[in-house]
Amino acid sequence: MIAPFFVLGTLIYFVAALSLLGIDPGLGHFDPYIAGWVHLFLLGFVMMIIFGAMAQLIPVVVEVGHYSVDLYYVIWPLLLSGMLLMVGGFWSAPAILPYGGLLVLVSMLIYLFDTIMTLKKAENITLTVKTAVAANIFLTTGIVVGFTMTLAIGAGVELDISRWLGTHAVLVLGGYVLLTIMGLSLILLPMFGLAHGFDQKPIERSFNIMSVAVVLHLLSTILNISWGAMLAMALIFAAITLYIYQVYLIYGVRARKENDIWARSMFFGYGSLVASVILGFVAAISGSENILLSAAWFFMMGFVGFLITGHLYKIIPFLVWFERYAPLVGKKRVPMLNEMYPARMADWEFGFTAIGVVIAGLGILSGYKDLFKGGSLLIVVGAGYMLASVFWMLRFGKNEGE
Amino acid sequence: MCAISKEQVFDAIRNVIDPEVGFNLVEMGLIYDAVIDDECNVKVVMTLSTRGCPLHQMLTQWVKDAVEMRVEGVKDVEVEVVWEPEWNISMADDNVKKALGAL
Repeated sequence: MIAPFFVLGTLIYFVAALSLLGIDPGLGHFDPYIAGWVHLFLLGFVMMIIFGAMAQLIPVVVEVGHYSVDLYYVIWPLLLSGMLLMVGGFWSAPAILPYGGLLVLVSMLIYLFDTIMTLKKAENITLTVKTAVAANIFLTTGIVVGFTMTLAIGAGVELDISRWLGTHAVLVLGGYVLLTIMGLSLILLPMFGLAHGFDQKPIERSFNIMSVAVVLHLLSTILNISWGAMLAMALIFAAITLYIYQVYLIYGVRARKENDIWARSMFFGYGSLVASVILGFVAAISGSENILLSAAWFFMMGFVGFLITGHLYKIIPFLVWFERYAPLVGKKRVPMLNEMYPARMADWEFGFTAIGVVIAGLGILSGYKDLFKGGSLLIVVGAGYMLASVFWMLRFGKNEGE
Repeated sequence: MCAISKEQVFDAIRNVIDPEVGFNLVEMGLIYDAVIDDECNVKVVMTLSTRGCPLHQMLTQWVKDAVEMRVEGVKDVEVEVVWEPEWNISMADDNVKKALGAL
């Protein structure tokens, strides 16, 4: 059931990498091609993988079973078709944008329905559970705002897109993607790093500040208060800084110090988040479009991208192991999880993508188009290795189970 | 009087490997105690390296199976998972600490 999310997500990651070659970073964040690429990456890769991971992780995190896990069978076809229509709408036919937006909205409402009904069963209300509730409320609001924007672009509904774009991004990226990553990392970083006994206050404060910031940004847009949106952005910077400090605290007490592909991906991902915060801060002061785009680049391709790809090397082997080898425990020798990913291919994937993200990021920052293209080409090679690695992991031991 | 010893129970559990780290649960320091009564009923008191462990139910079942299959004369086996004291790396054997880079 979960495999289509990971296969499609990685395939779309590869397509998104290829599509980078058609981007001119000098066009700015209002350009339809860039908007289409952002939706391809966020809906097709990030959301697809998050939803697939949630199908597996929600029961782990909230310690109760799904309300109806079968709903996940309809989520991915709706999300995929909606995303394709939206990207097509941005790239060539704005009239189909609302249809794509509607399909995406329906897929997310189904996901939210299962998540909320599952969370209602939770007895142990941890910070991660609270984070999940808040993140899902923000996602719903963000998608409704986004759908209304598609109606404005494709069906002529009157709405000031430039005014609502920031809130749409803050609701979805800050309110959902970042809060979800915060909540999950509080479980996954200590789990994989074997870290215990760290102070959780920074992430509690980060979660509260981020939630206030997202609501403040939304209210500021509704009431048209420009200083409110600026204050919200300042609070978001503070929340991310506290979150980075929390990750540093977890890192400091981890017992597992081997630098496998997961650990290296985390280092690069959080390093990119630091770079993104610094660049975002400078962009807010200077108003430079290049710096703003490079901050968004390091946030999406460096931070979100590497956090997801790094965890795929942990989650997919676990799912395959669970299905094919768990029943054989005690009867024959079963492989360890670290034998179930292609270490060499993963190293190449990491190397090409990391260097590509840095070079392309510098290309955006400097406005030097060829540098961006060169970096993008390396990312394409890295994404090819990622795709091959995912198929390698999914096929591991397939014949033994037959 | 039951002739089963704690060592026999611990030796049986040494066959249960955590697939994520590749070490058995005893050398990981996850098995806190084994209580054996006069009737040869065994209660294993253990913990997990993290509360949200997705293998929670499977690991406890494997511990139960290992004791039932490998300890001769055992009757009922119960596995209790506790969170106090919280596990930390100092509870693991030196070979585990060394392999994980914690020594």
